[in-house]
Amino acid sequence: MADPANDFIRDYQTLAQQSWDAWTRQFQQPPAANPFAPPAAPAAGNDALERTLAGLKGYFDWMQAAASGGAAQPATDWRQQLQQMFGGAGQPFAQAFGGIDSVGAEGFARQWQSWLQAARPGGFADLAGTQGPTPAFGLNREQQMQQQALATALMASMQATARYQELIQRANTQGMQRLQGKLAEPGRQVDSLKGLYDLWVDAAEEAYAEIALSDEFREAYGEMVNAQMRVRKLQQQQTEQLCQQLGVPTRSEVSSLGERLQALRREFRASQAGASSDHADEIMALRREVAALKRQLASASGAASVPKKVATEKTPKVARKPAAASKSGASPRQRK
Amino acid sequence: MQTPIRIDPIQALADIATFQRKLAAGMGHLREMREPEYANTPRELVYSEDKLKVWHFTGHGKTTSKTPLLIVYALVNTVWMTDLQADRSMVRNLLEQGEDVYLIDWGYPDGADRWLTLDDYINGYLDRCVDVVRQRHDLDAINLLGICQGGAFSLCYTALHPDKVKNLITMVTPVDFHTPDNMLSHWCRRMDVDLFVDTMGNIPAGLMNYVYLTLKPLRLNQQKYIGMVDILDNPAELENFLRMERWIFDSPDQAGEAFRQFIKDFYQDNKLVKGTLQIGGRTVDLGMITQPVLNIFAEQDHLVPPDASRALGKHVGTTDYTQLAFKGGHIGIYVSGRAQREVPPAIHQWLRQRA
Repeated sequence: MADPANDFIRDYQTLAQQSWDAWTRQFQQPPAANPFAPPAAPAAGNDALERTLAGLKGYFDWMQAAASGGAAQPATDWRQQLQQMFGGAGQPFAQAFGGIDSVGAEGFARQWQSWLQAARPGGFADLAGTQGPTPAFGLNREQQMQQQALATALMASMQATARYQELIQRANTQGMQRLQGKLAEPGRQVDSLKGLYDLWVDAAEEAYAEIALSDEFREAYGEMVNAQMRVRKLQQQQTEQLCQQLGVPTRSEVSSLGERLQALRREFRASQAGASSDHADEIMALRREVAALKRQLASASGAASVPKKVATEKTPKVARKPAAASKSGASPRQRK
Repeated sequence: MQTPIRIDPIQALADIATFQRKLAAGMGHLREMREPEYANTPRELVYSEDKLKVWHFTGHGKTTSKTPLLIVYALVNTVWMTDLQADRSMVRNLLEQGEDVYLIDWGYPDGADRWLTLDDYINGYLDRCVDVVRQRHDLDAINLLGICQGGAFSLCYTALHPDKVKNLITMVTPVDFHTPDNMLSHWCRRMDVDLFVDTMGNIPAGLMNYVYLTLKPLRLNQQKYIGMVDILDNPAELENFLRMERWIFDSPDQAGEAFRQFIKDFYQDNKLVKGTLQIGGRTVDLGMITQPVLNIFAEQDHLVPPDASRALGKHVGTTDYTQLAFKGGHIGIYVSGRAQREVPPAIHQWLRQRA
């Protein structure tokens, strides 16, 4: 027999979902006409909106699921109720990570995915080397070896990512345990979905931080990054070979030019600094000599018998040690 | 059985309806919002080189300070955090206190900047910027204010060029990179940085932002946007929120070589506190910093843990070392109401006593 209350909730949820879908469609990208185009990126200037929607969608889904799965049920066992509210498809932890994977890291993950899609439209299960290395022969031996290396690196990368994801999932599980602990604290009472969500965020972030600071996570994180870089490097190698065959300048070539140019700029700066320092020394010596000569002249016009002594004592002395005061780089005041 | 969860189902549905109504109404506002501007405190360009610019702020009160203050920002994110909006501008507050403020805007590196090293940044760009300000004021030494990574640069610079710095201020600056609560340091410890930079070249800003988001994934990727729904009908607050979003995600790529050295020497090997850091072939000895130092850090900083900053006191050679703990986070130290009231006046007061 139908339960009118549950029917109402279901109908309401359907309506809410439809209206959410309707207005989020306004912000969605049109499908790419080119089947080889990379996955859709947010439109320029709309990135904040995309991020906002991704985060909010997770929360909205969770509220929907929680309202029907947990809050609507009579509270026989609150721990079970909690599991129902956080265990379904609208799991906000996965949504939060899903959001950053798809949008925040677009320069990284998207490019990788699009390369894979373009390079192996049918996937890479048939790629030589995925089942382990095999000997290669003949004219295309080097290419075969590179394909095998790429396949091996891809498999290693997937394993490393899976290990990382496992730790993320563990953080999620431990977050739930912490949430139960917080709810079991004497006097704790939650009377709104938002209040429950905020408490869960506190618990999940605490659990995540603990795992993220563990040695195990450090190893897994490092290996995931390194494995992805190995894949990317092999991709670049193959792309460069193709570019060379087509007569297109490669990134390595451009990069080498940049390196040489920067080295030249450094040398130029150093020689300029050296020359400028030499000039400063020379100017300082000349200034001292002029000052001494002026004094000499002033003395000569004042008293005819004294200047010789001054001149012989002071002028040569300054001229012999001109650079001592300014060798380390004259201050702007001194230079002026 | 007593249950701690007492959510009325009807109320829960009403909450969903309210959330959706606010969102639907607010999205209209959101789409109509223009790109929020930063504070744009009046300034003049006094030096530029490659993509770098040195700005001199003008037009806010009478300058009473005899020694100009040069702000050295980090290479990550943009310098406009210091001048975010009119009522949340550290720069504007410093000017109102009577300081004469200059700022280095590092710009947005591209492929041409791939080979810039820390030596190029510190003994090259930064040194020339300092010289420009010294020459403009006919001074031997000026005041430096280094922020975050820019604080680490300022420490290196002061140790290597002590005659050119009169007073040094560091804000949310990592010094000891191996404190147990430093998540970024923990994560990159097993990274093969050579492979990473050789493969990536310059490090994309999107990737950097991704890493920062994963420091607190739920708060930064979801919870804050849920909080935003409550301000969607408030244009002024929404504009502030979007301005902050702009700042967070409008960030420059990182020059590959400088990134390589910074991660290896600072994050992985912690050479700054070990006294083994080499910049341009010279050893950076923090003990060479004998001028007055003011070290400001944030007690709730999730990027630069307070202990990472506090360590500075043990390593500098000065006998005039002051430490200021701010109750807030890495960003709040520039933009919160408390920061406006506390930080610039504290900086000005400290500098005035050492004029």
